[in-house]
Amino acid sequence: MARVKLEHVTKRYDDGESGVVAVDDMNMDINHGEFICLVGPSGCGKSTTMETIAGLTQPSEGEIYIGERDVTDLPPKDRGVAMVFQNIALFPHMDVYDNISFGLRLRDYPQDEIDRRVERAADIVQLEGMLDRMPDEMSGGQRQRVAIARAIVREPDVFLMDEPLANLDAKLRVHMRTELQRLHKKLDTTIIYVTHDQAEAMTMSDRIAVLDTGELQQIDPPLVCYNEPANLFVAGFIGSPSMNFLNGTVDDGGVETEHFYVKFDPAAVDDLAIGDQVTIGVRPENVHPATKTNEIAYPSAPINARTDVLEPMGDEIFAYLLMGEGNTSMAQETASSDQLLMSIDPDSPIQADDNIQVVLDRERMHLFHGESGDALTHNLVASTDIEATDTRVGSD
Amino acid sequence: MTMTTDKDNPDSGLLRRWVQYAIENPRRVYRVLFYVAIVFFMVTTLFPFYWLFVLALTPEGQLLGGGYLPDIELFGLSTTFPLPVPQGFNPEAFIAVFEQLPFHLYMLNSFVLAISTTVIVLVIASLAGYVFGRLEFAGRVPLMLAILAISYFPPAAFVVPLFEAFTGNTPIVIPFTEIPLFTPPRLLNTPGAMVMPFSAIFMPLSIFILTTFYAQIPDGLEDAARVEGTTRFGALFRVIMPLSAPGVATAAVLTFISVYNEYFFSSIMATSPDAANWSPIVGGILSFQTQYTTQYNLMAAASIVAVLPVVILVLIAQERIVSGLTAGALKE
Repeated sequence: MARVKLEHVTKRYDDGESGVVAVDDMNMDINHGEFICLVGPSGCGKSTTMETIAGLTQPSEGEIYIGERDVTDLPPKDRGVAMVFQNIALFPHMDVYDNISFGLRLRDYPQDEIDRRVERAADIVQLEGMLDRMPDEMSGGQRQRVAIARAIVREPDVFLMDEPLANLDAKLRVHMRTELQRLHKKLDTTIIYVTHDQAEAMTMSDRIAVLDTGELQQIDPPLVCYNEPANLFVAGFIGSPSMNFLNGTVDDGGVETEHFYVKFDPAAVDDLAIGDQVTIGVRPENVHPATKTNEIAYPSAPINARTDVLEPMGDEIFAYLLMGEGNTSMAQETASSDQLLMSIDPDSPIQADDNIQVVLDRERMHLFHGESGDALTHNLVASTDIEATDTRVGSD
Repeated sequence: MTMTTDKDNPDSGLLRRWVQYAIENPRRVYRVLFYVAIVFFMVTTLFPFYWLFVLALTPEGQLLGGGYLPDIELFGLSTTFPLPVPQGFNPEAFIAVFEQLPFHLYMLNSFVLAISTTVIVLVIASLAGYVFGRLEFAGRVPLMLAILAISYFPPAAFVVPLFEAFTGNTPIVIPFTEIPLFTPPRLLNTPGAMVMPFSAIFMPLSIFILTTFYAQIPDGLEDAARVEGTTRFGALFRVIMPLSAPGVATAAVLTFISVYNEYFFSSIMATSPDAANWSPIVGGILSFQTQYTTQYNLMAAASIVAVLPVVILVLIAQERIVSGLTAGALKE
């Protein structure tokens, strides 16, 4: 059983005066056979986290366990991990066979065992007949497969993959994504996968770990991260295009933003008081034209807006709406801009520069704390029910 | 007047046409200049070698007789042959070289000194090159500069103190005091007295070469090797060094040739030019000169014999360097 556990792992880089904290008090518990994706923007510490697990970087504080062993002070070779690198990192002076068998030869496996394992690994990644090629005679996808074969041939406890598909073209990437999932099913090994591509993270992983500024923001199954983001950062990072954010103030019957008012019961939400500053989050697919109001169980009041730009994607259209004066903001994710992004049907009659009315699906609206950014609720309607329960409990 | 003008015109026309042609085809001019330069270098480097051949083949009695540029009859014209020719044919000189003196032992000495120095330099310079090229640490640049600065010291600056130390008579003391530290063993007339200073003197250049090469190997390859099961040390020798083959070959060849040709230190550390005292090739060559005789033909023959191994080494190493470069070894 190869469970991977990080306990209070911190990595500081001391550049003289200004120390940079790359990983800040990271706690993670990864089960055997789990496929975990570490996602986050550049410089969020996901690669550093990976390197500390691999042993290529020594953490400043904290412990790392693989299986039941404390591996914090072990060199990479003794940790039972195999790694696939972003730049593939095949040894250019060795042919495919030597590359794949490198780790086995170092561990003095008998020759027939090496041959058998290389054969099998090459079979899994479909590299038969290419064992005597040199890396520079191969295409990007083939090299990637050699790198994966090099990792699986050692039958490690844990696979570490650091953006292994980043250097491949789009088509090959999608193909390799499927291959990796198939491989994971076949090998039943713990996989820790670093990516900045959320499509990869959403499709492949059992759980996603979202990192920002070296801190773990949320670690949950993909749909939980999507539907119930723990905070503003996760909400903005997961989902493409990004969630709409609007700043507002809570009063006794709902939340007032610059351009509209949404009803809900603030008393139903924990840690929320009247007068608090909050950020409303609503995904583009939960913004609907007012004509569809009766299809939504709990719509908000209609909001006046003007369509600005339409982006037809084929299966849907992204409509950028402007509210009020319609000042466009260059920064897409700036809260309380006058902009609202809506996803509509491709056969919708809405045109650019139309004045329309839209409604928001209150069951799928998120509230975030105005200062900390922590999620307060993910459903403005359900909270009313909870509130009702709460009052009952309170009145009893 | 008109005649001369007519006669001049075609001439100036020819020059003008030639200049015009050269301007329009500069590549041709460059190629001509290239061949001129090549011929110049060939003559200046190969002529001395040819002159050694001429001397080596000339029998000893004829050496000082002159007449190396004979008059020859060519199509009825009497002229001086433009190259010196041997005064006779005496290839036995190449054998006499090994008979009069154990010249092969001198060569063996040089080989042993050169190879052991090269091995020591490559191992230590590889470690240093790894540290300087791939690790970040405080004081890296000053330390590197200090090492390079030491390489600019004239070797003569080290000779006297080293000779004194290697005699093993007096203990080494802390500078400016009489406090003895240790008494070194007597190393004069042993390889140790030569290999140690050679290694120290030729080390900085190799460190410099290997640092630049090792720094270029992508970190990912070293990381991959370490995850696959090597230590940092193993990654250096299994991945970084093989990928830096051109650099390692360059450092090795330069060190080998420098030591092979070295005479200044070895002439002092071997107290007499004796093969048993680890005197190198130059010591052997100079031994053909005694107080009363100078056997120029043997010296020339010995020089040629001594040069051959280096020529072969360079040819082999050159192939290695070229193959290392064309294989695109550094491409990830």
